[in-house]
Amino acid sequence: MADAAKETAHAKDGHHSHSATPYFVVWAILLACTGLTVWTGYKDLGSVNLPLALCIATFKASLVIWIFMHMNEAGGTNRIVFVTSFVFMLVMIFGVFGDLWTRNEMSLPSHVPSTEGPEIAVPEGAGPPAHHE
Amino acid sequence: MSSSDGHARAHHPHLADHFESIEKQDHAARLGMWLFLGTEVLLFAGLFLGYTVYRHFYHETFHHCSRALNITLGTTNTIVLITSSLTVALALWAVRAGKKNLAIGLLVFTILCAFGFLGIKYLEYAHKFEVGELPGKWFRAEELMQYPAANMYFTIYFLTTGLHAFHVIVGMSVLIWVLKGILKGRYTPDYYVPVELGALYWHLVDLVWIFLFPLLYLI
Repeated sequence: MADAAKETAHAKDGHHSHSATPYFVVWAILLACTGLTVWTGYKDLGSVNLPLALCIATFKASLVIWIFMHMNEAGGTNRIVFVTSFVFMLVMIFGVFGDLWTRNEMSLPSHVPSTEGPEIAVPEGAGPPAHHE
Repeated sequence: MSSSDGHARAHHPHLADHFESIEKQDHAARLGMWLFLGTEVLLFAGLFLGYTVYRHFYHETFHHCSRALNITLGTTNTIVLITSSLTVALALWAVRAGKKNLAIGLLVFTILCAFGFLGIKYLEYAHKFEVGELPGKWFRAEELMQYPAANMYFTIYFLTTGLHAFHVIVGMSVLIWVLKGILKGRYTPDYYVPVELGALYWHLVDLVWIFLFPLLYLI
């Protein structure tokens, strides 16, 4: 069990040489990133807002996982297990995006059919005006 | 089993019968915890996916409804959780270094942060109930009625923050249990895996909030 041996080695190292400074450094960076994300959140950067917020959040999360959660000391199996869950989360989200990005107008929730009954060939402009915007 | 094995076993009071060594037992415990945390990520992933889909359909609505949230309270809660994540990491460090009193102080502070987070969350929820910014058929906030599916924003808001708050309560209970163990002197620099796993759970609570905060409050 190489992982078990590695974890034990780290634990033994950790007894005396391990300093608490990295935790404070990470804390300061996390607070600074929170400030940054709030500041950019107030600004209207158009389509950049969401990717930027997600990048900052991912960076913060990586710091928490790597230092606070000691992933840097973890054995390979533990790393694979946790990272795999993120891989499957991305598979799920991007799988659904494939649907969202390629939808026909008729299957969008904003599409309102003009009469009740099966939705067949509603000519363009025949439906009621959209009630938003 | 040879007699020398039996002798080695007697040295570690926390070693369960079915494990060969304390190293293997600790490894199994950590692996089990990471597996559990992986399933937690997937549990929240379902809600994040729901958020993504509805935000895609009702982009404008989500933008206007997010203005109804109190960014000051949200930011305060973010700082509270990040700080509690620091103190629980330090508490584990203190246990590993054999500083028992420091570990107790840090854990008590972490638990107080958890109460603080829930208190602020209560203020936010109370306001939402008052003005009717609620999920589904309970939605009655007139100034947001003009936006289609405004209630869906609040459905997702309450589902995600509600599940997260539940995790805060569970994490807090786990930390109280860990604190009890430290007070009894159960954890030492040679045996601290339960403290480590409790701290891991608390960090996950922080992780989820790191994503929830910008996605709900700052859009």
